[in-house]
Amino acid sequence: MPTILDLHSHSEASEDSRAPLEAYLNWIKLRRHERPVDGIVLTEHRQFNGAADYRALEDKFGLMVLKASEVETDYGHVLVFGVTEEMTRRFDFANVRLNAQELIDEIARMGGVAVPCHPGRPTVGLYEHYAAKPPLENVVAVEVLNGGSRKGEDDRSMELVRKYGYRAIGGSDSHLVSLIALCATRFAADVRSIDDLVRELREGSYEPVDFRPRRKPVPAAVPEEVRHNGG
Amino acid sequence: MAVEYDPALIGRVFEVTDPVSVTAESIGKFCTAIGETNPLYTDAAAAKRGPYGGIVAPPSFAVTFRNGRHFFTHVPRFGRAGFDAGKDVEFRAPIRPGDKITLSSHVKEIYEKTGRSGSMVFVVVRSTVQNQNGEAVAHIDHRFMNRP
Repeated sequence: MPTILDLHSHSEASEDSRAPLEAYLNWIKLRRHERPVDGIVLTEHRQFNGAADYRALEDKFGLMVLKASEVETDYGHVLVFGVTEEMTRRFDFANVRLNAQELIDEIARMGGVAVPCHPGRPTVGLYEHYAAKPPLENVVAVEVLNGGSRKGEDDRSMELVRKYGYRAIGGSDSHLVSLIALCATRFAADVRSIDDLVRELREGSYEPVDFRPRRKPVPAAVPEEVRHNGG
Repeated sequence: MAVEYDPALIGRVFEVTDPVSVTAESIGKFCTAIGETNPLYTDAAAAKRGPYGGIVAPPSFAVTFRNGRHFFTHVPRFGRAGFDAGKDVEFRAPIRPGDKITLSSHVKEIYEKTGRSGSMVFVVVRSTVQNQNGEAVAHIDHRFMNRP
């Protein structure tokens, strides 16, 4: 059965978010018709809480909550899925200057997958770094739909996908309750655990999905017929 | 390697302010200033029948107490420029008329992050608002951003 997950979100455990996990889940539950996700992945900034147990909230809301991390590297920000104790011993997640190539290779060797996020974003995205440095090797996928992107940033991410053949994921990058699950990733396979997620990101079939509401066009100040008539 | 600083800075109280007395009048003036009309804060008779057994201050009253004159000289700085990046306030207990309030401040956390605009170092200074019984009535986390 296909699974849709928001692969990038921040709860109040991240210093720049004010969103309690329960509020995220409640928001999704109330808006499943608009944002039909099966769950979210918490990707707290520069940390990983291996002990956090969200099963009670998962049961209460009927939604999956998986744990990952967003770390910072010399090529920008990277989502790390399948975090283990070995990884947190190997890398200081608080270090904002991690070596991206080393991170990608080592995380893969230790059984996880590292996915550069918002690559089209200035300073903290791959696109800008690729203009000055050689491209990274062994990148499995990048995040091409990011709920926090500004105009043009997702387009630059797509350029990388086309140029380098990366696979594409989506995530809301939500820091506020109302922004959760605006972007997500649809997997062809059933994903029920972090192990499933890592496996599917490496080998499965998936695509980014966009649940952001379309803006209605702003009506012209001068009606069309008047403009055409030279009025 | 994250941002470098003396770890002894963290948690060390660098300032305790002189006590400031809270009166029913000062609470009343605050309520008037912010347009607060809840009888729990403004009506002694109604407040007496309420959950606190008397007038208490609105929660936001906790942020009216000022830090000491030398507060900012104790805030660690990194790099060339910075600004006030906001405050988080945790209200823990009501402030009542007759309370004597002090602020005790220490550096809670220093961390670095990167964003669209580049690298930033954040310094979080926690001021604990205490009453005369040593009870923490609120925590105020001041967040300062520095551009290294």
